[in-house]
Formats: sequence, structure tokens, C-alpha cells
Amino acid sequence: MPDAHADQDWRAWFAEHGARLRLIARQWTRSEADADDVVQEAFVRFWKHQRHLPGDPNALVVTSIRRAALDLLRRTDRRGVREKAVAAETETVAWFEPEADPRLQALAQSLPLLPAEQREVVILKVWGALTFEQIGEQLQLSPNTAASRWRYAMEALRKLITARAHD
Amino acid sequence: MIDPDHDLESALAGLRPRPPGPAVTAALARELDPPVSRRGVILAWTAGVTSVAAALAAGLFLARPAADEAPAYQLVRAEQSPARIEVLRPVRLEDGSFARPVRVRWDNTTQWEDPRTRTRFINYRPNEQTTLLPLETY
Repeated sequence: MPDAHADQDWRAWFAEHGARLRLIARQWTRSEADADDVVQEAFVRFWKHQRHLPGDPNALVVTSIRRAALDLLRRTDRRGVREKAVAAETETVAWFEPEADPRLQALAQSLPLLPAEQREVVILKVWGALTFEQIGEQLQLSPNTAASRWRYAMEALRKLITARAHD
Repeated sequence: MIDPDHDLESALAGLRPRPPGPAVTAALARELDPPVSRRGVILAWTAGVTSVAAALAAGLFLARPAADEAPAYQLVRAEQSPARIEVLRPVRLEDGSFARPVRVRWDNTTQWEDPRTRTRFINYRPNEQTTLLPLETY
């Protein structure tokens, strides 16, 4: 099969997109270290087996990240149950770089507080650059359900930001 | 029709996720570059086949010396990204005065290419410097 991206510099591609790919992994993993492992494993898997495929590589890498994250969750399920409570308390690293703008800071702190099913739609849309149809395929949902979760998430984020502004 | 979620989506897109740790970048560099030992095995195997073929065909081009196989990288690009400046929240210093931390980040990328095999060697180096700007309070 001819390589559809023969001229692509994949290291430069990862340098450009690594941060948002890691955020996508982070929401499906229990810790920062797990997110790093998942991004690494997923990107290597994509690079070895799918980089020749035509089309936008982004959706393929996101799919690879989801698979790697689910694999890791399955592998570490028993250990994870024991460690989950500890990790939730000790994990203080923010998902985003610090922001000077208080509104952005509130937004960065609010996003992890969304229910998981809303949060993954937001992250896949904003940082995964996926359409509702593609999000539906990733999460095995209808595009309408994905869009509806997005609207609920926007509403919830507005409330969380307002609540933080009044703190 | 104006999408009421548009401004929130734009604000979200303005957030900067944390990049993967340096261990990930190093591990990917190892994975994406073919290991030297495997290349050595391939070269050795090729050399073996070549010598047999040379003995059979007595063709000069098939008996190319191994030195020709060594990559000869030439510098093709060296660039520095524009600096990204972050002005963070003011902090109070030990002497009671205030200062605003400012973080500057930039990347240096240097690329070499072997024109014969079109393989590239890329050195990507992120840099970060943080400094404190004293603030005067009245």
C-alpha cells in the first residue's frame, strides 16, 4: 500500500499536537503518568500500523488513544480500585498550563469537574477537533446524543464558572 | 443565528493543555528512529548477499564497500520558534514586596538530512525561563 503521508515528519507532528493528545488521554486515565503512557503507546501503535493510511491522521490517533486508555484501565482495574481513592487525593497536577486571566483559570479548574460523559464530548470536540458524528463513532453514541451532551456541558460549565466567580 | 456556546468554546480552545513529559518525547524519538543494531543486522545481511552475488556475477557495483552505506547527515534547517510569554499572578516575596512571575518558552529545532537515503535526524529542544518582575505598590 502506498504511504499517503510519506513526506510527513511525524516527530514534528507530535511536537505540535502532543499536548492536546495528552489531554485527551488524561481524561480517560487515572493519573498524569498513565496519560503519558497511553499517549506514547497509542502514538507508537498508530505510527507502526496506520500512518500510511490516507485521510486526516488526527481521528486515527484519537481512536488509538481511546483503545490504549481502555486497555490500560482493564489491565490495572484491580490495582486501580485500591489506588483510586489515594490517587484522587494526591493528584494535584492541573490539566492545563496556568493562566493569568481569572476567567480562563476558572474554566480550566471547572472542566475536570464535569460528569465524565459530558467532559469527554467537550474534550473530543475542542481538543480532538472531531465533529459530533466522529465523536459519536468514537463513543458509540448517536451524533444527536453527543450534541446534547455538549449542550449540557456548556450549561454546567457556565454554572461552575459563575459559582467560582462568587466564591 | 448566533451560537450562544461559541464564546465558551473559544475560551476553552484558548486553554493550553500540559505537554507530555520529556520521557515520552525521548521514548518516541527512540521508537520513530530505527534502532542502530537492527540497521547493523540488515547491513551485515546485505553485505553477505552482496559478496555472494559479487562472487557469482563479478559485478563491481554489487561489491560496494561498506563505508558507502554509512549515513552522511548534512545540516538542512535550524530554527527557533517565537517566544511564548506568560504573565502569571503576582506573588509576595519574603521581604514583603510583590513581584509578577513571567515565564518565557521557546523551542529550538535543528534538522540534518542524509541526501542519499532522505532520512532526517531532528534535535528538538524546548526551553523555558522564568523571572520575577518587581511590582511597586502604593
